[in-house]
This record gives sequence, C-alpha cells and structure tokens, in this order.
Amino acid sequence: MVLKNLNDLKRIVEGGPRKKLVLAAAQDQLSLGAVVRAWKDNIIEPILIGDKEGIQNICVSNNYDITGLRIIHEPDTEMSVEMAIKMVSSKQADILMKGKVGSSTLLKCVLNKEWGLRTGNLLSHFALFEVETYHKVIAVTDVAMNIAPNLQDKIAIVNNSVACLNKLGYTMPKVAVLGAVEMVNENMEATLHAALLSKMNQRDQIKNCIIDGPLAFDNAVSLESAQQKGIRSEVAGDTDLLLMPDIEVGNVLYKSLVFFAKAKVASIILGALVPIVLTSRSDSEQAKFDSILLSAAACK
Amino acid sequence: MLALKKKHRIAVAWAQDTNTIGAIHKAVIKGFVEAVMIGKSAEIIKTCKAEGIDEKLFTIIDADNENKASLEAVRLAKKGDADIVMKGLIGTDKFLKSVMDKENGLMLPNAVLSYVGVMEIPSYHKLLFITDPAVIPFPDLDQKIAMAGYAIEMARKFGVEKPKIALIGASEKMSRHFENSVDYAIMCKMADCGQIKNCVMDGPLDLFLACDKKSIEIKGVETPVNGDADILLFPSLESCNPFYKGLMLFANGELAGLIRGTEKPVIVMSRSESEKSKYFCIALSCLMA
Repeated sequence: MVLKNLNDLKRIVEGGPRKKLVLAAAQDQLSLGAVVRAWKDNIIEPILIGDKEGIQNICVSNNYDITGLRIIHEPDTEMSVEMAIKMVSSKQADILMKGKVGSSTLLKCVLNKEWGLRTGNLLSHFALFEVETYHKVIAVTDVAMNIAPNLQDKIAIVNNSVACLNKLGYTMPKVAVLGAVEMVNENMEATLHAALLSKMNQRDQIKNCIIDGPLAFDNAVSLESAQQKGIRSEVAGDTDLLLMPDIEVGNVLYKSLVFFAKAKVASIILGALVPIVLTSRSDSEQAKFDSILLSAAACK
Repeated sequence: MLALKKKHRIAVAWAQDTNTIGAIHKAVIKGFVEAVMIGKSAEIIKTCKAEGIDEKLFTIIDADNENKASLEAVRLAKKGDADIVMKGLIGTDKFLKSVMDKENGLMLPNAVLSYVGVMEIPSYHKLLFITDPAVIPFPDLDQKIAMAGYAIEMARKFGVEKPKIALIGASEKMSRHFENSVDYAIMCKMADCGQIKNCVMDGPLDLFLACDKKSIEIKGVETPVNGDADILLFPSLESCNPFYKGLMLFANGELAGLIRGTEKPVIVMSRSESEKSKYFCIALSCLMA
C-alpha cells in the first residue's frame, strides 16, 4: 500500500481501537487545538496533563469543547512530563506528545534510565511530507535530531524508519541514501555510507526495505532525471524514504519543502517505547494534527 | 597456448641459473621470444653447455654483478630495446629497486605497483586470476581498486570479456570489525555505478561462495558471482600468498604471474620456482606486452 497524501493515514487508524495520547504540559494553544480536533475526529483518546486553569482558559477563549476530556492537574512542567511518561511506561497511554515544554527537557525525561521510554534504540526524527509535485507521500529522516550520524547511527535511523513505514503498510519501502552525486566519491563520506548501507541491505543485514544510494536528490525523486543519467536503480524516481547525510541538509530540505513547495508535514520521534509527537513551536496546528494522526497510525 | 602475434624481446637480469635459462630456451624454440641474457657471460655459457642448449640462440650481455645486470635490463626496456624484463637469480628487492627507480625505472606515473597471477587448478573448471600474492601487504581502498583493474585487464586479455570478480573475506556479511568488508562494499557500488568497468563484482564473499555453486545453494546467498569467479581479490598478501602456494603444493595448481603498474611487463618469480612456471610467466608477459 502507498499513501498518496497525509489524509490517507486516517484509513490506517479507522476501525481500530482509539489510541490514548498523553499531552505533557498541555497548556499550549496549538497543541490543544490539534489534540481536541483529533479527539473529535475519533483518531485518539487524549489525556491532558498540566496546569488545569491554564488549559481551561485556552479552551474557553478558543472555543475548544473539552467536555468529558480527562485532565490531570500538575502545574510543574517537569513533573507533568514525568507523569506523562510514567503513564506511557505503565501502559496507560500509547502516545506521548509535547506541549508547552522545551524539547530538550522532554527528551531528557524520555531517556531517564529508571522510568523513561528507552528501548536501547537510537532516537530519530521521522517526517512525512505531502508534496503536490510528487506522486505519493515521501518520508525524510533525520531532519531534526541526529546531528552528524555515523554509519552505525544511520543503520539505526533506517531501521527505525523502515519499522514505522512497515506499520504504515509499506512492506518493502524504497530507501534512497542521499548524496550530492550518484557515484562513490572517497572524499564524500555520505557516498561511502550509501555504498555500505546498500551492501548491508543486499546481504539482508538491513531488512524489510530496498536501499540504494548514493542518489542525488533529483535521481531519488524523478525517474526522468535518473533515466537521463542512465542510473539503474529500483529506488530512483520512486523513493519512499530519503535518508539525509546530516542534520543541515535535512533541516534545509524540510524547511524548503514547507516554505517553498507548500508541503504538508507530519513528524514523530521514533526509537522510544512509543511514538512521540514532538513538533516545534513554529509548526502550524495542521502540522500538529497530522503528526498526531501519524503517531496513531505508527503505533498500530 | 595463446596465439601470439609478434615476437617479443625479453631482457633477463642475472640470467645464469638453470631454471631461467631452460624456460627462456623453451620460449625461444617455440618462437615467441628473442632473449637478451644479462649476467656473467662465462657462467651463462657454462650453464647452457651443461644443459645442452645452444647459447648462440641468445644475445648475451656481460655484467659482473647483479645490480649492474638489473639496471641494464631495465635500461634496455626503457629505451625500447626490450619489451619485457625478467628477473633471473637476483633477489626480488634488488631487482624491484631498479624497476621502481624514479628516473630510470619502469613505473607508470602515479601507478600502483601490484601483482596479478593466473592459476590453472585441475579441480576448477577454468583459469582463476588472483591478486595480490606478492607486492602489497595490506592494500587500502585505492590499491584494491587498482588491483581489481589489473586483474580485469588480464582476464580480458585471456578472452573473458566481463570477468566475475569476488572480493574475498571470511564471510559474506558486512562487519565494521572487518575493515576490508567496508572497502568491498564501496567497490561493489563503484562497479554498479560504472566507476570500475568491465566486470561483475561482489564481496565480501568467502571462498566457497566465490568458487562453489553448491555453497551458494546451501547458504541461499544471492550474488552475481554465483560460485563462478574468474578473479579472486584477496584482502592481504598474507592471505593470497598461502592460497596459491597451497594450491601448488596440494592440488597440482600452476601459477603464472606478472607485476602490473609498469610501462612494460616485468616478470618476478621466486628463484625456487620451476622451469615450467617460469615458462608460463614468459608466455603471459608476451600476451600482456
């Protein structure tokens, strides 16, 4: 199955039991807006933890009807995060979402050795874009979390993302390892990593996907451009997942897709016990909503 | 034997030993080489007489020590009076020193000096090219790429248009503990991208997966080399060297080999090598000249 747009994620969520999402430090307008909307759309069952008065004030002034929603009062930000995480680790919630709290504070708690959500896997960021000019949604990783992943990190990042795509219904997602060129160049580490990842995939050491690279961006997403260059690749022109060489490339690609190509985006953190919705403060309510949708689909 | 179009002139440095003279004589009689024997002329003539060989078949140049002999052999090749240089009774390191001399030697600019051998093994269904059993102890990525290029070039001279080259390791799995597997993955991708041409390449592969179809079936590994390798590229000199010696000792293998990276073919064989092996090397050098 292939997702044509982010709305297709609803098909995955529909019919199943509603996942419980716990919003930590819930007194945040855009987060609350997205969570309430996802609740009304039957995508999730929210639990709000935070400053109860603050939460209620936001809901009143924005006309969010939260009648019947479970709210746990915890005015201290860190305590509310800890409480949210403990609900997840004790299986009272399926998804963790960040409200009005810094990402670093939340992640520090996620990685807490005693009560955090560690699995032994590397945490990585996974973003799913709906771009008008591409024939399906395209996943991009890692645009926000791992700064300069080495080969071992990249293997973990691919594994996280492939497991997620498998859950979204992609049995054999096509993974393009991005470079500036489509040849091996010893002076460009990304191209060497690409060669190694491709070989490990051939040898079944990275499973459930087809990896090829290095591919330059145009070869990865345009069959025409790959054919012009005479590239023989199962992935070229039909990429499901783009693996970034480092965070700078990833972050700029992410932002140029959003700002120049008017892409819609959903993003989550993978590698913890459950998907984590950790959108940035500048993300729109729509992006937060789509991310919640993605997290619900990904914890199927 | 392969059909050789023209006669080649071979300069032999320190040429007074029986095996060398015997091998050269055979090649001269077969008609594919002319020989210039450089060394103590009296001894060369004496050996010829003892072996019943007519010394007038050779051009003999007198040299009173092995250094002078190897310098003269290289000089002849350099100025075009010889097409091939061969090592006689002189030590390999002294001989290669003349070959590698920056001003007067035979090195191609920026070339990697390496060794390619071709083996005939009764229990294998075709010739098997191997590299490098003699020159580079621990080849890095660039050296491995050069080695592959030389071996492919040689296999193609033998009429194997698109040789299958197996990059040999202890297993077919990638592991960061085996640095060679990292180089191999990079090389395979380079072959995919056309950066290494005229071959089908895969690695890491162990020797079974490289040369034995049954192992492929048993292990279920998908590889384009498919147990039918033409070329084996080894991770180190110390793995390749015992491989060929083991085959010679225990499996009736025969080896012919050449130094690559030089302007003209250079024959370096161990002094203890048989006359037959030396003869094969001479024939091979004519093919590559």
